Amino acid sequence: MLQGLQDLGAAYLSFMSPMTLLYGLGGAFMGMVMGILPGLSATLAIALLTTMTMSLDGNVAILVLICSYVGALYGGSRTAILLNIPGTAANAASCADGYALAQQGQAGRAIGIATSGAVTSTLLGVLFLATLTPLLSNVALKFGAFEFFWLALFGVTLSGSIVGGDPLKGWLMGLVGLLLAQVGEESLYAYQRFTFGWESLAGGIALIPALVGAFGLAEVLMALSDPIERKIHDLTDSVLPRWRDLFQYRWTVLRSGLIGVFTGLLPGVGEDAGAWVSYAAAKAVSKEKEKFGKGSIDGLMAAETGDMSSVPGHLVPVLALGVPGSAPSAVLMAAMIIHGVQPGPMLMVEHPQFVYHVVAMTTLASFAILLFGLFGVRPMLQVLKVPRNILMPIVFLLCTVGAFAVASRLFDIYAMVAVGIGAYFLRRRGYEMAPLVLGLVLGPLLDKSLRRGLVLSDGSLEPFFTRPISMVLAAITIFMFLLYVPIFRAAVGRVWKAIAHGARGALGKSDI
Amino acid sequence: MKGAEPTPVDETDEPQNGIADSDSAASPRADLHDAIGWIILGVAVAVASLQMDRLQDRHINPFTIPGLVPGLLGAGMVVMGIILGLRSWMRGGHRQAIVRATANQRERRKRALLSVILCCGYSVVLIGHGLPFWVASSIYVTCSILVFNRISADPVKRRLSLLAVAKALLIGVLSSVVVWLVFERIFLVRLP
Repeated sequence: MLQGLQDLGAAYLSFMSPMTLLYGLGGAFMGMVMGILPGLSATLAIALLTTMTMSLDGNVAILVLICSYVGALYGGSRTAILLNIPGTAANAASCADGYALAQQGQAGRAIGIATSGAVTSTLLGVLFLATLTPLLSNVALKFGAFEFFWLALFGVTLSGSIVGGDPLKGWLMGLVGLLLAQVGEESLYAYQRFTFGWESLAGGIALIPALVGAFGLAEVLMALSDPIERKIHDLTDSVLPRWRDLFQYRWTVLRSGLIGVFTGLLPGVGEDAGAWVSYAAAKAVSKEKEKFGKGSIDGLMAAETGDMSSVPGHLVPVLALGVPGSAPSAVLMAAMIIHGVQPGPMLMVEHPQFVYHVVAMTTLASFAILLFGLFGVRPMLQVLKVPRNILMPIVFLLCTVGAFAVASRLFDIYAMVAVGIGAYFLRRRGYEMAPLVLGLVLGPLLDKSLRRGLVLSDGSLEPFFTRPISMVLAAITIFMFLLYVPIFRAAVGRVWKAIAHGARGALGKSDI
Repeated sequence: MKGAEPTPVDETDEPQNGIADSDSAASPRADLHDAIGWIILGVAVAVASLQMDRLQDRHINPFTIPGLVPGLLGAGMVVMGIILGLRSWMRGGHRQAIVRATANQRERRKRALLSVILCCGYSVVLIGHGLPFWVASSIYVTCSILVFNRISADPVKRRLSLLAVAKALLIGVLSSVVVWLVFERIFLVRLP
């Protein structure tokens, strides 16, 4: 315990140099700009900055990336409020109330609420990051091939179920991601799969070029193909954070912060789930339900705190299990590996200080967004006034650099273009990219764990279903698939209603 | 500091929250076509996995053959493709007539095609074939700005005056040089 506190203190001190802090601010700034631009996501911000920071010291580079992660989600709320378009997917829940407030001439107030909620909830999330990571690492040490197989499958399935409106299409994208991850030399015998004799494919499809294509080029094509250019609302009132609002809605902040952290712990769920679940919970207990969607401060506060606190939540499984919870955290994990840190159960044993460094980095990120929230909102919004005809070609320029820079291979640029064009057409047909990313990241783990597990069990599937943790993960994964079957879903609905009815009856009796 | 009248911003008839009208994303007919595509892909993957070397000469454990996971993924794709097909069939996808594209959709497709051509022209033709990065990038950015100005709905933007060309060229060169300087000189990142 004392050793932990000592490590944490040392981690904070290690970042207290002007140059390091400047890098952190730069990362948050870049993230915010990316987040403000509609469609350009935290994933793209981290992917591009990964290439830019490769020559930096590992800890400084990760600091820049975490600051850009937090900054992008925070920046995305501006676009939701002023344009009614979520800057990143995580800000979708903020659109209704944020935009309604902007229409009432309170855009500045809405931005101030987003700032105060974001800072407080990120700090709340940091507390859980510091305490839950070592605990989960201890549990994860008991994981074997069987558990990791189910964890990988669970992450892809959950992501497919939750992201977008159609689980079937989500799962199909998860399968495509898992399939893309099988391309190239496999890990057990160095056998080349799906390379068709093409040497460039032997190394597989690299994660960062694929993500830059799926989230960068696809978005460039989306923006440039739209015949209509949208204009932003004028910002007339003060954008300073309203701490009074924060105090008034303190229970919303606390509840949404906790929901955000715990949804963040689930692999594959994404930051938007934190925002939507928090929003729904706030509406369920609010005394002013009718105001939700029409400019409710409570609703906006819940959405903004829910998505921001899920960032530290997502970092917990990345560090403790080596399993990312969302697309941005998947890129962050890849960046950690590039910088020589292998996230997973052994991280707490081999590099315990790194976990505390991440805690310190996330804290600094929350202060960086506060600083920009206080002094940088208006200048940053100028980026939204740049016509997309100018902005998007420059973004594609950065995508090309980002795809090439990791390995200096032209093949990566071609892969980025192919994935980007494919992603554009798939998105136009209602397929989401987040499950594909999870599949791409978790594919090697799933492949290795299934085959190792089968060797250990001599071909028997029994341990995959009988070991305690495997049993739980298998049951949840199979349950998610079965929920798609109408008869099963109807039966679950009936059971759920009966339980709710029984609980209400019991509460009613106890009141009497 | 306090509020002024809100400015009307929405001149569009498109759905909000960034979800533009997709090419019949939810249409059962489109899903039926997708289902056929998924089934074909799944079968191709499964067949390719079955044909993969089983490395018998290396006496490996038969449960670790390289084609195991890809084969399962191919099978999964076929199953989900069939479910998607059945779902769209039950929703009347096979009876649905082909709907003529609206003017908005045609415009969107034209713009998408132009964007793809410009992006591929830059990343496949201009980049990596001896042309300095900043020159290739300047050509791409300038051309993109001019092409999209030329097809803009705004008649003022559509006119390609000498000033408009000079402005596009300036933006193209400036952005390319800045990217080159920041990445290659400051952050020591190798550029194509």
